[in-house]
Amino acid sequence: MYPTFRILLLLVVLLPLAAAVVLPLCGRAARRVALLVSLLHLGVTAAVVLGALQALALRGEHVLPGRDVTSYQLFQPEFVPGDPGVGGAGDGATGRTRWTLLSLTDAPVDKPGPHVQFFIGVDGLNVWLVALCSVMMVPAILASWVAATDRPGGFYGWMFLLQGGAVGAFLSFDVILFYVFFELTLIPAFFLIGGWGAGSGRRDAARKFFLYTLAGSLLTLVGVIGVVLTNPDPRSGAITFSLPDLMMNVQRGLDLAFGEFLSGNPGPLAAKQDLQFWLFVCLMAGFMVKVPVWPFHTWLPAAYNEAPVGVTVLLSALLAKLGTFGILRFVLPLTPDAAVAYGLPAVGTLAAFGIVYGAFCAYGQRDVKLMIAYSSLSHLGFLVLGLFAFNTEGLSGAVLHMVNHGVSTGAMFALLAFLLDRYRTTDMRQFGGLMGRYPGFAFLAFVLALASIGLPGLNNFVSEMLMLAGLYDARIPGMHRPGLAVVAAVGILLSAWYMLTMLQRVFFNPLREPPATGPQTPTDLTRHELLAFGGLAALCLLLGLFPQTLIGPMKADVAALDAIGDLARDRVAGRRPDLGPPPSLNTTGPTGPAPKGKGGGEPKGKGGGPKGGGGMPPPASPKGE
Amino acid sequence: MNPLTDPSVQQTLKGVFQLVLPEIVLIGTACVVFLLGCLHNRRWLWFVVSLLGVVAAGVVAGVVKPVTPPVMTVAPIIPDATAAFVRWVAIIAAYVFLFVSWPEVDRTNAAEYYGCLLVAAAGVSLVGRANDLITLFLALELLSIPTYILLYLPARTRANQEAAVKYFLLSVMSSGVLLFGFSYLYGLTGSTNLTAIVDGVTKANAERLSPMALVAIVLVVAAVGFRITAVPFHFYAPDVYEGGPAGVVAQLAVLPKIAGFVALARVLGLLTAPRPGEPFHLPFEAGTQVPLLLWLLAVVTMSVGNVLALLQDNVRRMLAYSSVAHGGYMLIGLVVASSLPDAVTHQTMTVGRYGAMGVDGTISTPVLAAVGGVEALLVYLVAYGAMTIGAFAVVLYLTTPDRPVESIDDLAGLGRSHPVSAATMAVFLFSLIGLPATAGFVGKFLLFVGAFAAPADTPAMRNLYQSLAVVAAVNAAVGAYYYLRVIGVMYLRSPIRPPVSSRAVPTLIAAVALAGFTLFFGLYPQPLIKAARKAAPVPTVTKPAGETK
Repeated sequence: MYPTFRILLLLVVLLPLAAAVVLPLCGRAARRVALLVSLLHLGVTAAVVLGALQALALRGEHVLPGRDVTSYQLFQPEFVPGDPGVGGAGDGATGRTRWTLLSLTDAPVDKPGPHVQFFIGVDGLNVWLVALCSVMMVPAILASWVAATDRPGGFYGWMFLLQGGAVGAFLSFDVILFYVFFELTLIPAFFLIGGWGAGSGRRDAARKFFLYTLAGSLLTLVGVIGVVLTNPDPRSGAITFSLPDLMMNVQRGLDLAFGEFLSGNPGPLAAKQDLQFWLFVCLMAGFMVKVPVWPFHTWLPAAYNEAPVGVTVLLSALLAKLGTFGILRFVLPLTPDAAVAYGLPAVGTLAAFGIVYGAFCAYGQRDVKLMIAYSSLSHLGFLVLGLFAFNTEGLSGAVLHMVNHGVSTGAMFALLAFLLDRYRTTDMRQFGGLMGRYPGFAFLAFVLALASIGLPGLNNFVSEMLMLAGLYDARIPGMHRPGLAVVAAVGILLSAWYMLTMLQRVFFNPLREPPATGPQTPTDLTRHELLAFGGLAALCLLLGLFPQTLIGPMKADVAALDAIGDLARDRVAGRRPDLGPPPSLNTTGPTGPAPKGKGGGEPKGKGGGPKGGGGMPPPASPKGE
Repeated sequence: MNPLTDPSVQQTLKGVFQLVLPEIVLIGTACVVFLLGCLHNRRWLWFVVSLLGVVAAGVVAGVVKPVTPPVMTVAPIIPDATAAFVRWVAIIAAYVFLFVSWPEVDRTNAAEYYGCLLVAAAGVSLVGRANDLITLFLALELLSIPTYILLYLPARTRANQEAAVKYFLLSVMSSGVLLFGFSYLYGLTGSTNLTAIVDGVTKANAERLSPMALVAIVLVVAAVGFRITAVPFHFYAPDVYEGGPAGVVAQLAVLPKIAGFVALARVLGLLTAPRPGEPFHLPFEAGTQVPLLLWLLAVVTMSVGNVLALLQDNVRRMLAYSSVAHGGYMLIGLVVASSLPDAVTHQTMTVGRYGAMGVDGTISTPVLAAVGGVEALLVYLVAYGAMTIGAFAVVLYLTTPDRPVESIDDLAGLGRSHPVSAATMAVFLFSLIGLPATAGFVGKFLLFVGAFAAPADTPAMRNLYQSLAVVAAVNAAVGAYYYLRVIGVMYLRSPIRPPVSSRAVPTLIAAVALAGFTLFFGLYPQPLIKAARKAAPVPTVTKPAGETK
């Protein structure tokens, strides 16, 4: 079965890219083909997700052979295509690939080394985001069903390229491959906003989006290269572009420096942390623009507003997640000390400001589309806070919220297709009393709006509570965390305020509607719309009722990040880490039971280099406290 | 022994002709074309003859095995890996240019045009293998002189003539400066052979820095700066690019850059094969002076080029400034290569200090240089060549006498009226921006890695190299603005004047092939990088004994 899943995983990336090439040739039939392809993609993704759930559930008791270091916290991709391990069952899988795209060495390319590889895989952090990409494509297509009549082949082709870029970025375990997919999304977004947008400002919006994001992500590229080059393998001096190997190098280097620090030589650690600060700034430059975090959000209202509504669904559901996912996948594990030291105090403050700012801007909007755009800014600020809480609750809440926010905000934008198809406007002042006119639409709109607010029982509630819990971590001292949590909670309150105001204006009051586009009176939900909005509303309910299904598989990876965070906090505070029971020095076997599971809140034991040498020397004179 | 009677010296000198057989084929074809063109000037005929000549040169280059000259210090021509790489690039470029220039050639100028093109290609190829100041100078002139003719051939308007005269005068002046610099090198070492010069100056520098050698290097950099359009030697570029015929401008944007960068690398000793036990061998102090000079040149060139390109409304002027900016990016490669020795030797010391605390008690080694600089430069040159020739080819394809493509607005609505040429142009522009999945990204990536990697810890320049990577990233973002503007005009606007359909099919074929090339090496750059690494071996540090991994 295992090799089959590798092929399926490859298909998850390649199918949208292939569709992007084929669809422009389909002419008028493009939208039907697009829907079929998206459903097919959904099927393939579902198979991969089911397989991944099994593999991830096994992870606790199943330690992969062939890796000499098990005590470092690494991401462990499953179903890696091109795995050099013995074919057949998952037992032989090494979680590495041989498919080299670009090599910076003259050595054979199938040996580990400075190779940029086509290294994709599934783990607990990306499995649900890939599912999100696949799921949201269907409503995005359905939301464009009526509106996208101009060159439909090109339109749906670009949509699939956008999806393919997002899926590829989520699946990448090679830092450069991630960047490639990350930037690949710019091209389709540019053409979709600029070529199919509705308003007169679409060209400027497209250009602004492209240039803003590119400027940020070029700095991210510099940061990624910086991380790679400043963290060579301590033994061989070789650099690596593979994310798991890079995490190991980063942790080894920090362990060595921290060991020096504890034995009275703070120089190396200070140098490392100083460097991390700059790398953190570079990495965050691109991600803060992409998320976006206030004050780098100015491209967002224009882009979301000018894009055709189906594209806005994808932009808000998938592309915004690329930024937060980048923080999760790169910033936290690769520059952990800087993420602890500057994450919440600096970026978190901006994000918290963005929460309140976004909420007030949302309240002030007269156009529903812009209102949802600003509400998205507000919610994403919350997500950034959850990420930089950097503990189990915050991280699982953040990952969950990426999915939830993708579904509910995407759904809110998709709902607008209903109004746009009938009236060609989303101006709040022109609507009123739609409740009586379209009861079915009103019901679904209420469900989705309440989900977006975070009503208990619907999806956002769970993730928002988890993130708040992550911010109120009693183990971590300091007043700024509860302070930020209070701001975030105020954000929830504000979201109820503007969302309910919008519902009241549009759905209650006496009936008021702008002139319809067609000659016949518009009707309530059509079959396609019912499928799109009803499915999303049901998904919101399901995600709200059974969040544990989602949280379970990501446990191991979140625990790994949490352990990185705990050690980083110790390093930043300069205190001796509580190592817990000493790790087993057995080099071949697993180190203790359930190596990736988080025991009881204490940091994972990190000693034990590959040959039992002192990664964490037991020094005599503790510094600080 | 008297060098005149030394058999190995004689053998070296006699072997020269065998090393330049493909170039002889190219120039021989050119002579035939020149001579017989007086009698019978037909486009088809001379196109086919030139094509056969280029193919024959390629076959000869592939078949004839190079013989390494026994005495390097007298060899005027050396067949090293870099030379082979440059030769292949020149031959392929000539092949592409034959197709690209199709609409510019007519029955009045066919023979001269193709003949000059072949001679220029031979010149580039010879620059790659010249190991003697005289040969190098002659090869550079062999590239320049045909360009004067090509610029003047269709010079019917004042703008054409201005371009030709401007290029001629400034080019001659830069040749003069180059010769002046060469005279210093000769005076210092008493030899015109580059191997001998590099050896001599390196040895002299080991005792005390020679200020005269530095003056010579500055003069050479200034003279070559004209060919690679480095600021402040770039002033001719916009006027010439605007006034010259598009096909010739495409050559002008690419061939002198290849030749200039290779010549500079050769004179600076960056291509000299390191000797065993002595990894670095440069005729200047790697700590500051020359790297700093090149650093400044790179930063100023890319910044000025990008900023001025922002202001342009004319496609060709925009491409001219963009070519200036790309010259700046490529200079990063030379900065990295010229600074590498200092960085690595210094790092080895650092590691010696920290080695004791390495994991498992083994001695850890420094960061192995992942990118040597020169090979990143070669990759970038190839990528730049493909995208720049391609962009000019599209402009040339769309230009007809009734409807010239001058301003960016002339491209409006191209996405609808000419989907194929618009798509190829978009590929080239995305590649010029440096977006992933294009060859331009691979080049930029290697240069960024190089700038970041090489001197992680040098005493004199500290963070200047990292900041070079940041400056380049900011510049790339600025550059994106004006390239994207063209894409926006092509795809997001409706046509103002519907363009007539062009009949220059070979140009379009060449453009599509170049776009395919750009995309292929963007997605799978490994073959290109492998070839470049073979052409310019990355200096490696000898690892401490006992290392196995």
